[in-house]
Amino acid sequence: MLRYGLAVVLVAVSVAIALSLQVYEFREIELPVLLLAIGVVTWYAGNGPAVLAVVLSTTAFNYLFVEPLYTLYVSVRDLPYFLVFVLAAIIVASFSAVRRRIEDNLRHARDRLQIELEQREQREAEVRKLNQELTLRAAELATANKELESFAYSVSHDLRAPLRHLVGYSELLKKHASNSLDDKSQRYMQTILESGKRMGNLIDDLLAFSRIGRAETRTTAVDLQQLVREVVSEIGAQTKQQEISWKVGALPVCYGDRPLLRLVLVNLLSNAVKFSGTRRPAKIEIGSVDGNGGKSEIFVSDNGVGFDMQYVNKLFGVFQRLHRADEFEGTGIGLATVQRIVHRHGGNVRAEGAVDQGATFYFSLPRANLPLERKASAP
Amino acid sequence: MSELGRILVVEDDPRDVELTLTALDEYKLANEVVLARDGKEALDYLYCREQFASRSDESPAVILLDLKLPKVNGLEVLQQIRSDERLKMIPVVVLTSSHEEKDMLTSYQLGVNAYVVKPVDFHEFVNAVKELGMFWAVINQPPPGSKKKVL
Repeated sequence: MLRYGLAVVLVAVSVAIALSLQVYEFREIELPVLLLAIGVVTWYAGNGPAVLAVVLSTTAFNYLFVEPLYTLYVSVRDLPYFLVFVLAAIIVASFSAVRRRIEDNLRHARDRLQIELEQREQREAEVRKLNQELTLRAAELATANKELESFAYSVSHDLRAPLRHLVGYSELLKKHASNSLDDKSQRYMQTILESGKRMGNLIDDLLAFSRIGRAETRTTAVDLQQLVREVVSEIGAQTKQQEISWKVGALPVCYGDRPLLRLVLVNLLSNAVKFSGTRRPAKIEIGSVDGNGGKSEIFVSDNGVGFDMQYVNKLFGVFQRLHRADEFEGTGIGLATVQRIVHRHGGNVRAEGAVDQGATFYFSLPRANLPLERKASAP
Repeated sequence: MSELGRILVVEDDPRDVELTLTALDEYKLANEVVLARDGKEALDYLYCREQFASRSDESPAVILLDLKLPKVNGLEVLQQIRSDERLKMIPVVVLTSSHEEKDMLTSYQLGVNAYVVKPVDFHEFVNAVKELGMFWAVINQPPPGSKKKVL
């Protein structure tokens, strides 16, 4: 409303100026003065008031300055003069309108930038806050890790020493007193010794297991085919009396820490050998299938005693065993170690089996993108 | 205990000392042993200080060094030995419960001659210690300035 008022006032003022200048004998002044008014209105008040100013000044021009005066009648002689005025008024108005539109766009752009700037500052503040939290968390983790390390260290040192003494002195006692001990006491003695040794093995296994979680890993491309061949010949050498039929399928090259992956294979293959010990012959197969997400799934299957699928969740737990100690030896750390190593490599483990039908263990690893052709081979 | 020993055993646990001596005795090497009960005593012996002030200044043929010791720990003793011109040639064998890679790495970086983890199994322990004693005190030629085997 105010802007339309401005148009009316400005046109009125310029008409007044033009009329008063006419009194002082200045002629033909009304045209530029009215155009100036239209220009100013368009500049400051926008399109609507500009149209109003053009209409008003055209009317005033016609009424006050074009012969015959004080009528809205335009004689044919004055028509070009009048039309020129209207044209000039429209051109001035449209120039100003264009300028105004540009200014509006600029203002909008500036506002948008302002908002974006504020949003970005807000986001940066959030990122800074998250970073601080992360630093704090990292420091906490480092402390926890250090504590864990010193815990493992003292287990390694302080727990093994008394155990060594227990076993050592029992041996000494056995040596010194074996003549005076009856059969029962001899058996007690033997149990103490065996228990001590078993605890030693448990502690060693547990320490090795905890080291896997803490040790730095060195990732390289590992040729699983070659690694399996090494492990098979190593295990085969230890189990000469057992009849085993090995079948090694095509295996990929994967990314991983070689010694750790070797440990995975040693654990899985020696498990397969152990749990198929009663089979003539034991059949053990190693192979792979391409999984999704650039991963390969490697499997180790045997025709051994297998397991009941209802206990499958317990298989990979630390010190979890599905067989009695007098059936199969072992501490129950092997598959936990396998799972831990595979998880550290970003892979997964799973198992399938049935009682007396054998078992198959699967683990997935990121495939190395090397253009290597793999062929099946017998070890 | 002779003060002219050629095997310096640095060990704070009396039970480990007894087991070690039992093991060394299988090759009749127990008499060759000098015992230090902590790192400070070991350094006192090597520098002929305090209760060892009057000993002859020959070096032992080998030091069997535990790592976890009161006062001055094994790694500090090893570092001191290796940074001393007069002592740095003495063979040092770390004999420890520690299976930790960190300890092993630090020991080798400091220039240890061998690193042996005390086995829990008594027979393995005895074998390890007596073989160590046999090798370093009898078979190996110690560096000049060490106490020689008297035949």
